Amino acid sequence: MKRNPLPSMLMMLIGGVFILPFIFMIVASFKREAEVLQPDQILPKTWDLANYEAVSRNSVEAPVGLWFVNSVFVSSATTLLVICLSSLVAFAITRIKVRGAKFLLNMIVGTMMIPAQLFLIPLYVILSRMGLLDTPYALILPAAASGYGVFMLSQFMRNLPVAIEEAAMIDGCTLPEVFWKITLPLCGPSIATLAVFTFIGSWNDYITPLVFMESVTNYTLPVGIALFQSSYSTQYGLTIATSLLSTLPLLIMFLVFQKQIIESMTSSGLKD
Amino acid sequence: MKARRKEELMGYLFLVPYLLLFILFVIIPVLVSAWLSVVQLDLTNASKSAFIGAQNFTDALKDDFFWQATGATGRFALLMVPSVLVLGTAMALGMNRMSQGRDMVRALVYMPSMLNVAATGILWQWFFNNEFGLFNYTIRKAGGTPIPWLTDANMAMPSVVLMSLWWTVGGTSVVVLTALQQIPKMYFEAASLDGANGRHIFFRIMIPLLKPVLLFVFVTTTIASFQMFGQAAILTGGGPTFATRGVVQYMFETAFNGYRFGYGAAISWLLFAAILVFSTIQARVLKSQVEG
Repeated sequence: MKRNPLPSMLMMLIGGVFILPFIFMIVASFKREAEVLQPDQILPKTWDLANYEAVSRNSVEAPVGLWFVNSVFVSSATTLLVICLSSLVAFAITRIKVRGAKFLLNMIVGTMMIPAQLFLIPLYVILSRMGLLDTPYALILPAAASGYGVFMLSQFMRNLPVAIEEAAMIDGCTLPEVFWKITLPLCGPSIATLAVFTFIGSWNDYITPLVFMESVTNYTLPVGIALFQSSYSTQYGLTIATSLLSTLPLLIMFLVFQKQIIESMTSSGLKD
Repeated sequence: MKARRKEELMGYLFLVPYLLLFILFVIIPVLVSAWLSVVQLDLTNASKSAFIGAQNFTDALKDDFFWQATGATGRFALLMVPSVLVLGTAMALGMNRMSQGRDMVRALVYMPSMLNVAATGILWQWFFNNEFGLFNYTIRKAGGTPIPWLTDANMAMPSVVLMSLWWTVGGTSVVVLTALQQIPKMYFEAASLDGANGRHIFFRIMIPLLKPVLLFVFVTTTIASFQMFGQAAILTGGGPTFATRGVVQYMFETAFNGYRFGYGAAISWLLFAAILVFSTIQARVLKSQVEG
C-alpha cells in the first residue's frame, strides 16, 4: 500500500513550529541587545558572547552560577532521597506485606489528590518553626515525602515474580540482602523513570522555592531567573541567555534519553 | 511464625524513615492548614489566635477579589482544556498517520515541556512585546494592526493560554498517540471491509476507543488549569488590572504578601474542593491500576 506523504510533511512542519522558539532563544542569546530588538535581524551580525560573559560574572544581585549549584544540589538530593525512601516503603508494602500495608498505601495514594498549593502555607509555618526556611532542606525534605514514588514502585514491585526472592531466602539471604541484591536491581527501569521525573520536577519547581527561599544566594534557577527578569526586564538578550542556561541540563538529558523519557512518561501516566 | 514476626519488624523498620517525613510534611500540614482556616491567626502570639469557625470561608465568598481570581482561573481552564483536547488529539492523529519521522516529531513537540515556567515566560514575554516582539513585528510586516498581547485586559488571558499550549500540548499529544497505537489494526480493517468510510471509522471506532485516554487528559488538564500560577505570574504578574490573577496567585499574595495565613489557607481548601470533583474521577482510574 502506498502511503500518503502529506501527514508526514504536515506534522514535520508542526514539529518545526514547536521547535522554532528554541531556535530564537539560542540565537537571541548570542545577539547584542540592539539586535535582539530587531526581529528582522534573524541571525546576529557577529556571534557575541557578551550575554554569557555578563551571566558568568556571578554578580551579587544575580549569582547565576550559585543558583545553578543550588538547583543541582536540591534536585539531586531530592531524587536520591525519593528513590531510597520509596523503594524501602514499596518493598515493605508489597513484599514483606506488613500489617496495615493496604491501609498505608491507600492513605499515601489518597493524599496525592491534595493539590500542592494547599501545603504551601502550613509547610511555611512548620518549616519556620523547625528553622529550615531559606535552607535547601525546605525544598528537599517535603518533596521526599511525596507519595508518587511509593505508588509507582509499589505498582511495579507487585508485578515482579516472588520466586527469585523466595529462593534467595531459602538460600539464607536476609531481608535487607534480598532487597538490595535482588528486588532493587529488578526494579532498575522503573527506578530510572522515577529518578528522571523526580529530577525534572524538582529542577523546574517554581512556587515552592519562591515561598520558602528568602536570600538571593539560596534561590534555585527558576526563581532566580524570574527575579533576574524583573530587575533586568529591558535586557532581553541577557534574560534569555539566563533562561537558556536554566534549562540546558534538562534539554541535554532530554536529547540523550528522549525515547526513554517519552515512553516512560506515557506508560506511567496511563495503564489500563 | 517467629520468622514472620521478625520479617514484620524489619518491614516496619523499612517504613520508618519515609513515615517520619510523611507525618511531618504531609499529615501534619493538612491538619495545620485545617486549623489555620478556622482561626483568626495572630502571628506574633499564636496562643492569642481565636477560633472563628467558618468566617474565613464566608469572607472569601463575599470577597470580590476572590471571585475575580476564580473568574480568571475559570477563564483559563475554559480556554485551555478544550484547546488541549482538540489540538492534542489532532496532533496525535497526524503523528499516527506519519510514514516516516514520527519519533523525531514526537520529540520536537514534547521538548517545550522540559522548560521551567520562568524560562518559558521570559521567552514568550519577548515574543509578545508590543513594539519589538516577534508576533507584532510579523503582523506589522503583513500590514495588520498590532495586537496588545499582554497589555489589554481582554487579550492577556488568551495570550497566557497560547503560551501554555506551546508549553504543554506536546505532552498531551504524545499520551494520546500512545493510546492510538495500542488500538489493534484489525478493527480498522474490519470496519473498512464492512464499508465504513473515514468519518465512520473516526467517530464510531477511534473516538470510543480513545475515550479512556481522553477522559484522563480532560481530568489532568482541568486539575492543572485550576492550579495555574507560574505562567501568569511571570508573563503578566497577574495583570493588567488583575485580569490574569488566578486563585493560586491570590492565595499566594494573601498569605505571603499580606500575611493573612488563615484566609489564604481557607482559599486553598476551596481550591481543593473544586479540584476534588475532578480528582475523584482520576482516583477511580488510579484505583483500577493499584488493584489491577
